[in-house]
Amino acid sequence: MPLHVNLYHEVQRQERARQRDPLRLGMLGLLVIAIGFVAYYFVVLAGAHQVGVQYSMLQSQFNALDPKAKAAEARQTELNTEIAASDTMIKNVNSRFYWAPVLDQILKTVPRSVQITHVGGETGADPTAPSTLSITGISSAAEPRKEAEALRIALDAKLGSAFKSVTSVFRTLDDSDQIVMLDSRRLATATFTIEIQLVQKDPVAEVAAAPVRTAKR
Amino acid sequence: MKMDQEQVKKIVLSVLLLVALLYGYFAYLLGPLQQSERIATGGIASMGPQIAAAKGQIAKTATLEAQAPDAIAFLTNLKNTIPDGAPIAWFPPKMSDFFKAHGIDKCTTHLVSEGADEMPGFKKLTWAIDVPRVEFVPLGKAISALENGEPLLTILNVSIDATREDAQYQHATLVITTLVKS
Repeated sequence: MPLHVNLYHEVQRQERARQRDPLRLGMLGLLVIAIGFVAYYFVVLAGAHQVGVQYSMLQSQFNALDPKAKAAEARQTELNTEIAASDTMIKNVNSRFYWAPVLDQILKTVPRSVQITHVGGETGADPTAPSTLSITGISSAAEPRKEAEALRIALDAKLGSAFKSVTSVFRTLDDSDQIVMLDSRRLATATFTIEIQLVQKDPVAEVAAAPVRTAKR
Repeated sequence: MKMDQEQVKKIVLSVLLLVALLYGYFAYLLGPLQQSERIATGGIASMGPQIAAAKGQIAKTATLEAQAPDAIAFLTNLKNTIPDGAPIAWFPPKMSDFFKAHGIDKCTTHLVSEGADEMPGFKKLTWAIDVPRVEFVPLGKAISALENGEPLLTILNVSIDATREDAQYQHATLVITTLVKS
């Protein structure tokens, strides 16, 4: 068996010692970790960039939309004001008190035996407040007071169908000394004043049913 | 394996270097990056509803804009019926012409009062119209036409009195209000 002498054992030992050097191993480990950190940084950087681009796009989109939205909001307020004004005007027009139908009813109701000397009507700005109708005249009949009362009842009935509520009272009802001739008959007379309170039907409900009233007798 | 003093020094130095690098990495590189990403993510989350709200507002206004002409047509038409100029100059002649057209030759109109109206852009004028000689039926027809033809006009007061001279005719006074452009 040949004798084997390792003359490099010192060199080899040093080489093994160098390879097992903890400092070297540690530096290698650190290098691996550092590479990992750098790689992770770039991954995060890419993600952040993507998010940043998306955010910038949304920001520019919002910057473009925001002035338009503010202008639209201002226009909306303006339009709403105009629409509300139009609605108010429609309500006001439809809740007006119409005197022509009242005069028509008076014309149809007053009999030949009654002469009207004064018709007065008054309404306020508030459509829910009662309007006042005052009728002064002379009734002539065998019993002129009854004739005047018949007129009051007839007016009450006629107007009652067109209004929410009708209240009629005699302000005055006095016998008169005057005698009148009607159909070749001498008739006694009485002077009277009837006051009638008229409350309109609900104007709001009428408006809802018919937004624009264009014709009413 | 026993480390010599030189190696220990190197290890300590390396550890210090590592700590410094880690601090720098997290404090000056990764930290701000993640912070900016968080801010951007938060911005995206808040920007979405804002953009949706802005788009919604624009769409809502566009819809309203399309509907508005019909909704305000009544008011626009009414405004267009009001002549320009001082009402005292055009309203009394208008009433005279109106009553003449209904067979009532004589009437006088004078301004009673002037005031603001609840409607923006309008003012309310009160007028007295005196008709000295009129029959009841033509007057009723004229009042009916006036009420139906003039939506801005309201008759506040009607007074009809029999005349002593001729029982066929009456003396009528109307107090009316009308809206004009302010």
